[in-house]
Amino acid sequence: MKKLWLLGALVALSLQAFALNAQTIKLGTDPTFAPFESKSPSGEIIGFEIDIAKAMCEKMGVKPVWVENDFDTIIPALQAKKFDAIVSGMAVNEKRKQQINFTDKVFHTPAGMVVRKGSGLTTRVETLKGKSIGMQQGTIFEQYARKYYAPNGVTVTPYKTPDLYRADLLAGRLDAVMDDAVVLQTTLLATPEGKDFEYAKPALKDEIFGVGAGFGVRKEDTALLKKLNKALADIRKDGTYAKIAKKYFTFDPYGD
Amino acid sequence: MTLSLEGYSQLILAGTWVTLKISFLSLVVSFLIGLAGAVAKLSANPVASWGAGVYTTLIRGIPALVLMLLLYFSVQMGLNRVTEHFGLHQLDIEPVSAAVMVLGFIYGAYFTETFRGAYLAVPRGQMEAALAIGMPWFRAFRRIQFPQMMRFALPGVANNWLVVIKTAGLVSLLGVNDMVKAARQAGNATMRQFFFYGVVAVIFLAITSLSQVLLQYLERRFDIGVREARL
Repeated sequence: MKKLWLLGALVALSLQAFALNAQTIKLGTDPTFAPFESKSPSGEIIGFEIDIAKAMCEKMGVKPVWVENDFDTIIPALQAKKFDAIVSGMAVNEKRKQQINFTDKVFHTPAGMVVRKGSGLTTRVETLKGKSIGMQQGTIFEQYARKYYAPNGVTVTPYKTPDLYRADLLAGRLDAVMDDAVVLQTTLLATPEGKDFEYAKPALKDEIFGVGAGFGVRKEDTALLKKLNKALADIRKDGTYAKIAKKYFTFDPYGD
Repeated sequence: MTLSLEGYSQLILAGTWVTLKISFLSLVVSFLIGLAGAVAKLSANPVASWGAGVYTTLIRGIPALVLMLLLYFSVQMGLNRVTEHFGLHQLDIEPVSAAVMVLGFIYGAYFTETFRGAYLAVPRGQMEAALAIGMPWFRAFRRIQFPQMMRFALPGVANNWLVVIKTAGLVSLLGVNDMVKAARQAGNATMRQFFFYGVVAVIFLAITSLSQVLLQYLERRFDIGVREARL
């Protein structure tokens, strides 16, 4: 019995010693959120937010080390110090702020709802009664739907990832989906299967959609937070941000 | 519909290797825990049998996914508390080892029950005779009990193995870049999710089918002593 536990402990203790190296920063991301963060065929992590983070790291004189983690468990993983900051398109909101700190706004793209063309559905709750609406779970879109739609007879179905609600929308199991307008544009409306779909009107506006997305850091890491904010302000000022934005979007993803 | 992997074959292949590695190492860990657990559960020592009883009840009663999340994050946080207390560098549990330990620990409980059943299927007289002629307990277990009980255990072991492989598909939640994660990333980047899920399903099926061939060979091997008795 003792030998077995020892063996088990040996496997468990093939641990990586983590050097507290000032030259690197570990950034956690879930690269399933194109065009903000996704994975290239060669396995490289790419995207708008990734480029922004890299530019910020350059200003800070540190080298980013990317750590992949599911979005669902990204806050606990930050708290377990798997990495030092979350760079995963995370919208800033009160609930999350109770757990972690956020940098200043990194981007704020509008929220959108997509429905089948000619379905007559709008973002108004009256037209959605008895319909099914999907979105990624744990997002502000789920919060919005739970607050305004679910109590009024709309079936709200959260999904683990955007590709899953997309599949159900195409299969006709959902009448509408909600997400960031940029995500809906690139992953749905701009694809061949998306040609029968369109944005529902009027545009969604609510305080739930908040102040945009920022990088998340642990509550106690206030020095890191300050450095990140300074680097963000620097790349905003010297035009690096605008240059990166132009590479990915036809509009200003910073919002307002 | 094209069958091209659009350059993501490397990513999927690397993920397949990770899934295989995690499944196999988890099998080894859970197999050993299962053997120890079965012996403990059947032991006359009340502490051992009670402890093993708590272990199997607790682990088999909680969904694997919930356990994975609980164990993974709580162990890392506990470890951080210890290293910080002593002012040491943080020890990062590397995700693959973490997945192996967690899966091994979970499926050890199922293996415990598989082996307990197999142990009971071997007539008591076998072990008693071995001990009576003066064999030490461990040697008697290895030479007399184990080969005979494996015959009864193999169908259950095969079953557990298939479940372990498939549960290994959940480890992306622990930050592991396994086959399922690779497929999701590829599907997300190319907008061909169904195709890549299909690819992963076929790979899983290939792995499980191949394992069944191997397990059938093992079953024949452990049947050696009794084969003549069959018609």
